[in-house]
This record gives sequence, C-alpha cells and structure tokens, in this order.
Amino acid sequence: MAKQKGFNPADYQVRKTNKAMAVFTWIVLVIWAIFNLYPLYWMFSFSLKDNQQILHTNKFGIPDGWPSKWRWKNYAEATDTGDFVRMFTNSIVITLATIVITVLAAMMASYAITRIRWRFSETMNKIFMLGITIPIQASLIPVYLVLSEAKMLNTYIALIIPYSAFSLAMALLICNGFMTQIPKELDEAAYIDGCGRGRVFFQVILPLMKPAVATCGIYTFLQCWNELMFSQTFMNGDMMTLPAGMQQLFGSHTTDWGTIGAALSIATFPTVIAYIMFSRRIQDSFIAGAVKG
Amino acid sequence: MKRKKTDGITIFLFLLPALLLFVAILVAPLISSGFNSFFKWNGIGNKEFLGWKNYKSLFDKSQIPFWHSVRNAMLLAGLSVFIQLPLALFLALLLGRGIKGERFFLSVNFLPVLISTVVIGQLWLKIFHPEGLVNALLLKIGYLKDPLNVPQWLGEGKGLLLYSCFIPMLWQYVGYHMLLMYAGVKSVPTELREAAKIDGATDAQVDWHIVIPSMKQIIKVSVIFAVTGSLKSYDLIAIIAGINSNEAAVPSTLLKRHMSLRMEYGLGSAIAVLLIILCFACSIAIGAIFKERD
Amino acid sequence: MKKFLATLLAIVSVLALSACGKDDGLTMWCIATKSDSNRHSYEAAIADMQKKYPDTKLNWEAYENNAYKEKIKAAVSGNNMPDIFFTWSCAFLGDFVKEDKVYCLDEVYAEFKDKLPEKMCKNTTYNGKKYGVPLTMNIVGLFANMDILKEVGYDDVPKTFEDLMTCCEKIKAAGKIPFGCAGKPDDTWCVTEYLESIIEKSVGAKTLDDIFMNGQTWDNQDVAKAVDLFQDMIKKGYFDPNGISLGNDEVKQNFMDGKYAFYMNGTWNCADFAKKEGLNVKVAEFPVINADKAELGQLIGGPSDTLAVAKSAKNAKETAKYTFELGQLICKYGYLDGCGLPAWTVDYDVSKINALTQSVAKIVTDSNYMVLFGDTAMPAAEAGKYLEQVKGVYGCTVDGATFIANLKKDIR
Repeated sequence: MAKQKGFNPADYQVRKTNKAMAVFTWIVLVIWAIFNLYPLYWMFSFSLKDNQQILHTNKFGIPDGWPSKWRWKNYAEATDTGDFVRMFTNSIVITLATIVITVLAAMMASYAITRIRWRFSETMNKIFMLGITIPIQASLIPVYLVLSEAKMLNTYIALIIPYSAFSLAMALLICNGFMTQIPKELDEAAYIDGCGRGRVFFQVILPLMKPAVATCGIYTFLQCWNELMFSQTFMNGDMMTLPAGMQQLFGSHTTDWGTIGAALSIATFPTVIAYIMFSRRIQDSFIAGAVKG
Repeated sequence: MKRKKTDGITIFLFLLPALLLFVAILVAPLISSGFNSFFKWNGIGNKEFLGWKNYKSLFDKSQIPFWHSVRNAMLLAGLSVFIQLPLALFLALLLGRGIKGERFFLSVNFLPVLISTVVIGQLWLKIFHPEGLVNALLLKIGYLKDPLNVPQWLGEGKGLLLYSCFIPMLWQYVGYHMLLMYAGVKSVPTELREAAKIDGATDAQVDWHIVIPSMKQIIKVSVIFAVTGSLKSYDLIAIIAGINSNEAAVPSTLLKRHMSLRMEYGLGSAIAVLLIILCFACSIAIGAIFKERD
Repeated sequence: MKKFLATLLAIVSVLALSACGKDDGLTMWCIATKSDSNRHSYEAAIADMQKKYPDTKLNWEAYENNAYKEKIKAAVSGNNMPDIFFTWSCAFLGDFVKEDKVYCLDEVYAEFKDKLPEKMCKNTTYNGKKYGVPLTMNIVGLFANMDILKEVGYDDVPKTFEDLMTCCEKIKAAGKIPFGCAGKPDDTWCVTEYLESIIEKSVGAKTLDDIFMNGQTWDNQDVAKAVDLFQDMIKKGYFDPNGISLGNDEVKQNFMDGKYAFYMNGTWNCADFAKKEGLNVKVAEFPVINADKAELGQLIGGPSDTLAVAKSAKNAKETAKYTFELGQLICKYGYLDGCGLPAWTVDYDVSKINALTQSVAKIVTDSNYMVLFGDTAMPAAEAGKYLEQVKGVYGCTVDGATFIANLKKDIR
C-alpha cells in the first residue's frame, strides 16, 4: 500500500492557528457528521422498538427497557422472511467478478488509447465515454431477450456482464486519468530494451496502476452493489442480490417498522463493519491515486 | 518513436474485452432501442410502424410530462453541482487543513455512500413519513402545532415530493465527492502551502489561490459524475416517490413507467434515445467548459 | 497478477456451478409471497396436489406484485415462460393470448364444467375460447369500524348516501377521520376503489361497464358529476390528509388500528380484519347515489386472479388438467381462509369461515351486475392513463369536467 509520502497530517498543523477558526471548523464538521450518523442511529434504534414506540411514545430515543425489553424479535422476523446470507453471497460474488472484469478491460483499453499513438484513439475514447451517459434502463429489455435466448437468466453471468459493461466507461475515465500521468519515457525505455506492448503493459504499466485499481474498484463496487432494476428482472428466488431481495422484503412488511428497521440494519452493518476495518486502506488508495494522478 | 507493423493487432487485442462488453450490452441494445422508438410495440406482439409519432407525443406537454422530467433532472444536476459539490469541496478543504479527528470525519462522511440505495430510500421514507422523524421534530420544536395538519413530504402535488427525493440523493453522495476532492486537496505539495503561509496567507487564501486551482481535474470528474448521475437517477426516486409520480418524474422513471407498466416499448425506447442524447450533450458541454478554462 | 488470475479462476468455477439449473417437474410463478394473505392457500393446495400426484414435482416461485408483472411480460416476450403462471383476467392475460402464448383450455374444461360455472370464466374467455382457471374472486366492499360508528350513534352501516354523508359529518365533529385512502403515486388503484364505486352508483353498472370494456366514450356528464362528488368529500375533510403520503399497507394498518371509520377496498382484506383482535368491522355495499340510474346489487369486482398454462408447457394437456385441480384447491383454501370468494362451486363445509367473508358472500349472492376493476379491465397503456387522471382527482388537480375531457382525449 502506498504510504502517504511527503504529507504527514502533522505538517499541516497551521502554525499561527486561529483558535476561533479551528473551533468553527470543528463545529461544522461535527454537525455534518451528526447529519450522516443520525439516520443510521435512528434506523438501528427503531429496529429494536415496536410500532407504538416508533410512532408515538419514543420516536427519537434509545429503545425502551434496556436490555430485556429490546425487541430482538424484529431481527428474528426479518431473517425469517429473507435469507440474508444468501443475498450477501450473491451480491459479493457478482460485485467481485464485475470489479475484476471491469478493471482489467478498462486498463487494457486505456493502455491502447492513451499510450499507443494511432489515428482514431481519441475518437475511440469518445465513443467509450458515451457509455457514461447511457442509462442502464435503456438496455433492460434487449439484454433480457438476449440472456433469455441464451438460457443464461438466473445465473451470476446474467448480472456480471451487464454490470461490467455499465461500469466500464467510468473505470476507463479513471484509468485514463491515471495512465496519462505515467511518464511516456517509461515505456519508451522499455521498448528500447526490446519489450513488446504486452510485456510493457503487464510488467511496467499495471504495477504502477495500483491506485487506479483501488479507485475503479470502489466505484464499480458502488455501482453494482446498489443496482436494483436488472437484479429484480434477471434473478429469481435465491439468486437475488441484496437490493432486490430487500425490496421484496419491504414490500411485504410495510407497516412493521421494527422489522423493516431490523432488515435495514442487517443489510447495512456488514458493509459498515467491513468499511470500518478497511476505511484507512480505501481512503489511502484514493489519496495516493490523486497524488500520483 | 519506434513503430511496429503489429501495432494494429495489438491495439485491437487490447481493446477487445472492452469493445465486446461495450457492443454487446450498450451499442446493440441502443440500436434496437433506436429502431423500436419508431414503432408501437407492447413487447410481445407485432410492431406497428408509427414514424415520428412517439417523439411527437413526448414533445406534447399535455400527453407525457417528458419536459417536466427533463427539467427535474436538470434541476437535480444543478443542485448537485451548485450545492452538493461546493459542500463537498468545503468539507474537503476543512478536513485538508489537518483537523483533529480528520480520519474519523472522513470515514463518517463517506459512510452513506456505501449503504445500498434501497436501504437509504426506505430509511428516508420513514424519515419523511407523515408521522416520521421530520414532522415529529417540527412538532417538538413547536414549528408545527397541529399533528393532524402536517406537511405531506411524500404527497404528490404538494410541491414537496421532488425535494424529498432530492435531499437524500444529494446527502448520500456528498461523502463520495468529498473523498475525491480530499484526495485533491492532499495532493497539493506541503512546501507550497508552507511557503504561502510564511508569506502570510490565511488558510482561506491558500485554499482559494493554491489548492482549488490545482484540483481542476478532480473537480471536472466530480462534475461529470454529478451531472450524468443526476440525469440517470432512478433508484431513489422510484423508491421514494414511485415511478407513477409526475411531480418527481425524471426521464428514467418515465421510461420505466412506459416500458414496464404500460407496455409501450416504442415510447419507452424514444425516451431512452432522447435521454442518451441529452446526457451526451451535457457531457460535451462540461468538457467544453473545462477546456475553455485551460 | 497471479492473485488476479486466481480470483478470476475461483469466480469462473463458482459461475460454472451456479449455471447448472434443475430441469424436472412443472414450474409455476405466482404472487403469493411469504407475507401475502393467499400464501397459505397456495401452500395447502400444493401440498394436497403433491400427495395426489407424488410423481409430479411442482417447482413454484412467488414474486412481489409489481416485479411479477414485469417478470411475466419479459418471460412471455422471451419465450421463457413457466408452465403454469398466475395472471389477472381481461386485458392482462388477453395480451398474451393475442400473441398465441397461452394454452387453450376448452378441451380440458369439459371435465370440470360441473364444478366451475361458465360465467366465472367470462373474464378469461377470448373469442369464445377459455384460457384461464379462475381462483378466488373479490369485490370492493365498504368496511366500517363499528366502534367508531357507535360513538356517533350508528348501529349499522348507513344505507343511503345522504345518511353516509351525515355520518361522516358526525365522525368529523367527533374528531375522527371518516375515510382512509392511500394516495401514493404507485398505489392509485386504492383511489379507484372509491371512485369507481361512486361512479357506478351514480351512472349505473351497465354504463360504467360499457366505458371500461365495450368502447363507450368517457365523455359522460354523469361521470363528471360523480367525480366532483368524490372531490367534494375530499374537500370537506372526510379523507385522511396524510393519505396522499401513504401506501395501501399503511392505510390498511391505520384502519385496523382504529384511525378511520371507513375503508373501501377489496374483500381480500376480510381475513386480516377478522383476525385482528378488538376490531369490530362490518362490510356493506356502497349506497346508491342516483336511484334513477343505479341500484343496489351493482358491484365493482369479479373474478380476476387466474392461473393459466403456457402454450410451451411440457405436456400441455396434462399440465392443464393439473392446473384446473390446483386452481380448484387454491380457490377452496382461499375461501376457507377468508381471502376471497370462490369462483368454483362450493361442496365443502363453510361454517368456519369468518363472518365478514360470509357477509360478503351474501352481498355477492344478492348482486345482479359486477363491473371489473377498471385498471384490470383496460389494456395496460389505457389503464396507466386512467390511473393518472384518477391520481389527479385525488390530489384535487383534476376536476370532473377535466377528468372526462382528458380521458376522452387519451382513451376515447
């Protein structure tokens, strides 16, 4: 992992610190942090309440009667209606595969576009960039028909391929940004040493693109992890991803706020915990990427 | 520069995976959408050729609120660029100064981005519910007096629904842009800052004259993300307002409505085509604006 | 790079495993999800069928209502249909029939015609041929919370429209809300439950039926008047102002929690209302508004929930027979559970069915004309335009005159 060379947060400690300014900054940040955390806290708190508390007696506070009266039952009800382990597994497999395919395809394309000089490279890039603007909905039916014809509905591939295609443009944009920052002299030197394009790509360029992998990976993750429409249409029963499965579950529990809160919490906390564990790495990749890119 | 005859093949091979994905999932369906947009087709039966009629009906306000949906999407893009991004930039700059708990704030602000939109949507539905968090707070602080007469945040035609959808959308992605911009802020060489500081510049001056100009590339990426993301927005509006909402309609929900609920695939395809043209025009415009400033 | 490839390999092997599907027995899609009130009747009926035909394995899956509509349409256009599928009658199934994707049941029906009255198949008969196995049927009922009515001095549901309005006024004066109706854009069908009843009881069942199904124009002043009447009720504050922000499930819950005096909705709710302790509900027919044109016994509803057989089904004739038997059982258990009224002849003990469902059964027996729910009766595109205008009526942005003018322009 690229350590942040040259900027240690301590370096930024303002010498003649304006106390009032620092306090103001801190207050703004704390307020915004509360904006971000409160809805999550609220979700978790209502997952342990009954409707009476949520809607009437205890709207904001900690659930009544800790710990004996906290309604862990809500969680039992939520897990009873939905197989969360399965939904998570589906989402994780699909997302990981999409990231691998997207990043690899984007890197290769980016290499051909930014580092090999040819007549239509700019045009090619523009064409790929159109992909950013194409709404995923536009492909729903045509893609469905093709998948159906190929008997590939309800398999992981049915989502991985479209997700990769729709993540590609953004990944390419990011890769291009990084790729152009790598000095041309590097490949020139390698060519002079007699390396072919393939070797230059895999041995010189790719190792330098690690920060781009992280950035693309995160972006792609967000795009697929949240996708609802394709998943709802292409997947059935136990092949459904987390968003589609959740949406189905909500449809059937609209009025049990507690159960919904529990389901929301179950779907959210593994992601949050994983994020807390890796947050430094995620953020560092971003920062290292921007420093180099 | 050394040139090889095999370059053509190499280029092709390197482009192949991306091209395959692109053609199979984006181009081919797009062509079929373009073709279908001239027909009346319920998705299962015979196609009936209509010419430009689908497009004409989209431009006729009394038939389909297409312009309204475009206006909503542009409004969202505008709010995103002029409120969400400055807020993200502001937070990134504050954090970039090296405040106590920098990491904590960074992590917390990015958190909503990671949560599934389905979860966010359901959560905000509960927050904006007539008996939900917002109204309960307003009653508590005494802004509202009568619990039987509360603002209908989720009611169609009450002028609030659009904003009830936009607020969570803007809120969720502030952290994303903030993290991107924070990276940009941190990429300014320390020496440059220090030098400016020694010359007596304040933090705000350093931010304005040194940090922001050096972040152009990142700001551009953020703007493209924000604008195209707004034009394509679907999930949160579908969950919070529903795809039948006219007040909060955006092109994607309209497309989905005609395609899935009314089985008007031709009309849906026409919306898709116009939406793509619109998105394309916007990204060209953004590119031009940033180029001009070079 | 090695790590990359290893991951890739691992994923590909997972994919290969997941790609192998099972391909034996019959497949069925329906909307009886785990929380659906019909779930139990499906489970019980399927269990019975498995016992009777242990060699025929039925793989069935249930989807949420809206997702299902899309799924089945996509499956029909992709020639990827399950052998047996749930469908709504009239226009929804009609589109599939038109494309010749549905197996014609005439031949097999002959075996079941003693148990399934011909008139119950009316909504799934196209060009004189039968394509659907009806399950339960439902009508719109006026549900009343008798505890609230008692508070304002009523022992029974008001029998005339004038009395109903007086009753509402009293309920309002007592600080309660007369009606609850969901108004979220995707739940506009809830508004039609009110509006269609009011229109029917103003213009008469035949006229409304002709507008819905037989190509009559919407340009009808009586319809406009009925719409204005409905809007007057809204403007007088007879409806929960929060309704516009709520979905049907939430409104139903509010009614069950005693927040509203009346709730007009499908009779599939009977089972839930009967089950809820401490809730004292009666069901009635909506009173007549214009006695010159309408009369009691004219209802909104009819058989809509249907099973159909795909033309592509394995061994279609056998499957059709299986479907009839299955449908009959689902109908029976559904009726016993109080989820609706039977489309099939009843030859079992019904004394244990909840009182609410039994009173609906009486209303249906006494009825003389049923007009199917408008959004089911019309083709999808028309239904969408119709619902859009209805939504405008509930939001008070469209009045009666505009309503008929718009529908005349959009539909006919």
